[in-house]
Amino acid sequence: MSGGLSRPLAWVLLPITAAVLVFILAPLVVTIAISFNDTAFVVFPPHGFTLKWYGEVVSDPEFLGSLAFSTELALAATAGALLLGVPAAFAVVRGRFPGREAATAVLLSPLIFPVLITGVALLQLFAILRSDNTSLNLFLAHVLVTLPYVVRTVMASLMLADRTLEEAAQTLGAAHWRVFRRITIPQIAPGLAAGALFAFMVSFDNFPISMWLADAQHNPVPLLIFQRIANVFEPSLAAISTLLIVFAVGVVIVVERVAGLRRGLAM
Amino acid sequence: MAAPPAAVDFTSLAGPFRRRLPWPSPASLGTCVQLLPAVLFLGFFFMLPAATLFAYSFLTQSAQGNVGLPLTTAHYQHFFGTALYSRVLLTTLRISLTTTLAAALLAYPVALVMVRTGAMTARIITMIVIAPLIVSVVVRTYGWEVILGNGPSGVLNWLLLETGVIRHPVRLLYTEAAVVIGSLHVFFPFMVLPLASALGKIDPSLDDAATTLGAGSGRRFCRITFPLSLPGLAVGGCLVFSLTAGSFVTPAILGGSGAQMLGMLVDQQILTVYDWPFGATVATVLVVIVLAINLASMRLFDRRRRNAR
Repeated sequence: MSGGLSRPLAWVLLPITAAVLVFILAPLVVTIAISFNDTAFVVFPPHGFTLKWYGEVVSDPEFLGSLAFSTELALAATAGALLLGVPAAFAVVRGRFPGREAATAVLLSPLIFPVLITGVALLQLFAILRSDNTSLNLFLAHVLVTLPYVVRTVMASLMLADRTLEEAAQTLGAAHWRVFRRITIPQIAPGLAAGALFAFMVSFDNFPISMWLADAQHNPVPLLIFQRIANVFEPSLAAISTLLIVFAVGVVIVVERVAGLRRGLAM
Repeated sequence: MAAPPAAVDFTSLAGPFRRRLPWPSPASLGTCVQLLPAVLFLGFFFMLPAATLFAYSFLTQSAQGNVGLPLTTAHYQHFFGTALYSRVLLTTLRISLTTTLAAALLAYPVALVMVRTGAMTARIITMIVIAPLIVSVVVRTYGWEVILGNGPSGVLNWLLLETGVIRHPVRLLYTEAAVVIGSLHVFFPFMVLPLASALGKIDPSLDDAATTLGAGSGRRFCRITFPLSLPGLAVGGCLVFSLTAGSFVTPAILGGSGAQMLGMLVDQQILTVYDWPFGATVATVLVVIVLAINLASMRLFDRRRRNAR
C-alpha cells in the first residue's frame, strides 16, 4: 500500500504487533533456553549452562529410532504425494473436461475435514481390511494428508506460469516433451520444491493421524515427545524440541530462499 | 496448514456439456490418466472411510464387539441427552469461539502492519508468523506447558511473582484459558495470512479518494478498510474455528481433565472404551460443526459477491 501507516495509527498498531511477535516466539525461546539447564528438572529462570542433554539425546536409541522412522516415513509420503499430486494438479489446471471444478474440490477435500477424524476413519478402514502392517498404514495415511498440499502448491505455480512461453516454443517447432522439460518444469520448479519440502514437514510433524495408527516399533517423533511430556521432566525433552525447532527454522529459510514463503505455501 | 475451503461452483459444470467436447479425445484421455490415480486414492482412503465412519454412528455394537445392524439413533440420543457430553460439546464451542475472536483481534493490527510497512519489515513479520507453523504442534505445546507451569518455576508465574503482581503462584495449566492460549498460538498464522492478503488487495486510491473528500482515519477504516477485509476475516475465522474445534494435542496437554474437548472424547471412546459406534457419533458431531461453519461462511460471501455485481 502506498499510504503507509499514519502517525497516530502506527503508535497503536506497532506496539500490539511487537507484543504479538513476542507471544509467537515465547514458547520457542523458552524451550531453547531451558535445554541448556544443568539441573535434573526443568526450572525457570534457566540455571547454569550445559550441553549434556544434547549429548544424551544424540545417544538415546529410542529417540534415534523415532527420528529415523519419521524421516523415512516423511520421505516416502512426500514421494507418494508428488507422484499422485503433480499429474493431478496438471490435469485440473491445464485440462479441459466436464467436472474440473468438482475434481479440484475432491483433491483438496481432506483439508476441510478435521485431521483427527480422518485418522480415526483410516484406523477403522484398516481394521475392516485387517491391514496390520503399521508401516504401510502410516505411509498411506501420510500420503493422504500431504497430497492436498502438493496439489495446492503445484496448482498455484502452474497458474502463475507463463503459457505464452510454451506456445512460442511449440511454434518454433519444439516437441511436446521438450517444451515440458525445458519450459514448463523450470517455471514451476520453485513451487514444486517448496511444495515437496512443505509436504515433508507436514508428514514429519503430523500427530493427529499417527496417534491412531502407530505402535511401539513405529513411533514417529511427535508421538515420542507427546508420551514423554507426561513422564519425563528432564531438560532432555527441551533439547529434542530445540533440535526440531532449529530444523524447522532451516526449512523455513530454504523455502523463503527458493520460492518465497507465502507463495511456497500457496497461502 | 489447511486451505480455505474450495468453493464448488456448480454452474460451471453445465458449461462444458453444452460445448459438446470431442470425447474421449487423446488429450482428454491423457488428462484422465493424470487425474485418475489421485482421485481413486482419495476415494478409497478418504471418502470411503469417512462415509463408513458416518455409517457406524447409526449401527449397533454387540457384546463381542461386532458392529452391525440394526440401525439406531440411540448414540445421538445418548450424546445429546448426557450432561457430561453436552458439557464437552459446549466447552469445545466456547474454546473455539474464544480462540477465533482473540485471533481476529490480534491478527488485525499485525496484518495491517504487514501490508502497510516496508518490504523488509513485512518479510520479517511474515517469517516470524509462519515459522512456528513448521514447528510441530507437540513441541510448541511443550513450550506453553513450561511457560504456564502451575508451580513457582512456571515462566509466567515466576515473572508475576518477581514483579510482585501476585504473592502466590496461580493455577494456569489445566484450564480452558491455557487451551485458548495454546490454540491461539498454534492457529494464529491461519488468521493473519488470509487477512493480510485481503488487506493487501484493497486499492490504496480508495483511501486517498476518501481523504480528499474529507473522511477522517476512523471513518476511512469503518467504511473502506474493514468492509473490504471481511472476506479475509471470514476465511481466517473459519480456519481457526475448525482447527481449534478439531484439535487434540493442545487440549490434551494444556487442558487435561480441566478442559475436555470433542477430539479427546473420540480418542477416549475408541482407544480406551472401544465403543466404535459412539466414537463415530462424537466424530460425526465434530465434522458437522466444522462443515456447517465453513458452508455458512461460504454462502454468506457468495451472496455478498453476487449482490456486489
